[in-house]
Amino acid sequence: MATFELYRRSTIGMCLTETLDEMVSNGTLSPELAIQVLVQFDKSMTEALETQVKSKVTIKGHLHTYRFCDNVWTFILQGATFKNEDSPEEVGRVKIVACDSKLLTQ
Amino acid sequence: MAAPSTTSSVYLHVIGDVITKVREEFVNNGGPGEEVLNELQGMWETKMMQAGAVLGPVDRSANTKAPPGGAAAPVHDLNVPYEGTEEFETPTADMLFPPTPLQTPIPTPLPGTVDSNLYNIPTGSSDYPTPSNDGVGNSSGNTEIKAGRPSPYMPPPSPWMNQRPPLGVDVNVAYMEAREDGDRGTSHQPHTQDFFTASGKRKRDDFVQHYQNGGYIPQQDGAGDAVFEDSQITEKTTTLPAADTRNRQMLAHVGRPLSKIPQVDGQTPDPYDEMLSTPNIYNYQGVVSEDYNIASTPAPNDLQAGTPAIGVHNDVGEDEDEDEPPLNENDDDDDDLDDVDNGEELNTQHLVLAQFDKVTRTKSKWKCTLKDGIMHINNKDILFNKATGEFDF
Repeated sequence: MATFELYRRSTIGMCLTETLDEMVSNGTLSPELAIQVLVQFDKSMTEALETQVKSKVTIKGHLHTYRFCDNVWTFILQGATFKNEDSPEEVGRVKIVACDSKLLTQ
Repeated sequence: MAAPSTTSSVYLHVIGDVITKVREEFVNNGGPGEEVLNELQGMWETKMMQAGAVLGPVDRSANTKAPPGGAAAPVHDLNVPYEGTEEFETPTADMLFPPTPLQTPIPTPLPGTVDSNLYNIPTGSSDYPTPSNDGVGNSSGNTEIKAGRPSPYMPPPSPWMNQRPPLGVDVNVAYMEAREDGDRGTSHQPHTQDFFTASGKRKRDDFVQHYQNGGYIPQQDGAGDAVFEDSQITEKTTTLPAADTRNRQMLAHVGRPLSKIPQVDGQTPDPYDEMLSTPNIYNYQGVVSEDYNIASTPAPNDLQAGTPAIGVHNDVGEDEDEDEPPLNENDDDDDDLDDVDNGEELNTQHLVLAQFDKVTRTKSKWKCTLKDGIMHINNKDILFNKATGEFDF
């Protein structure tokens, strides 16, 4: 199963990465095993997002920068508004990084 | 509030899922064992709580620990912890007789199995490591787990934490945590503390610590590293930018004579200042023979010119590398956004990570459909299944 390492940059991914980093530095954990954990995280996170999350969001804003490189879209928005079920969130500046979803299904 | 709590539960689910699925790797094939796995989980959850991405201990015991108990657990989470339990004892027995030689994994399923309220009542202060650790006096790994586990009376994420992006937060918070834990007398803390700190600026601190711990390290390469490290610190305090190459060379020279003095931390600043102000230093420097010609030739001019304004001096040094730096700086000035962008990239502030289904553009109107995303916006983590974006360029 293909996975994206994309989600490692999220809060949960960063927390895991830091933890693994510490444990590898400690000598508690081998780097190989740490990588296995990260790969498993990629899978679990992707799966959880597919199966456990149902919410929808609309994003509006001024597109400051767009970039499409290596099948990854990067948008930098200014004055963006995020609307989900709860309340709109206003953000002065936000970066969106998106991988091609088709790559996962291949 | 709905969104964060959902996010929190999904995160906890992911943590549980990952831990469950890598358990085999940890336990079998000469892996580090279940204790290390629990330590991993504990540290991970702690960091998540500190980052405010996972709600407090209550949620943790309810979600992460409950899966074994089966309260609101997804199916595959139910299985593995149960297996772990059955290997040793029945959950009830463990609960009732804590002194029974328990492996760390056992207490994990307990809260959910018996009654999560049991664990919630004491505000988590009787968090599960307590019975097994205190009762049995297990191996040292447990202390680590204890340290790694969220401290039960850990204050909820304070406002200043939320002002910062997760990464920065963690470094600082972890440090604070370490001190708090140190009060509790947890032996492992100093160790962890180092690594927490290290994750921020690993190299520099490591070096400094090496030199401080090891006392005097004979210098054979003549680089005067220790002195340079210290001088960097000095510069920090005097709000100097990082030393340019020329400074390094000079420091190396000044450092050479100094490096024969075992004292690495105390005196360095003075010679550095001296060097900037006193020309005599060059005579002194001349003692070091082989590099004299190389470095000291440009050094005097440079120093004398630079003395009045140190900041300017450094800028000049940077400019000398190429003609580009000033150009770039101007660019940055013209377009502040680039600076902000870099900052955000480092801090992962306001970041959306997702997969795209489709991205289209009509003239300046962009439309995109995203799915399976994690947004970190306004210090909140929001997950979405689908997202549509409409941007104007």
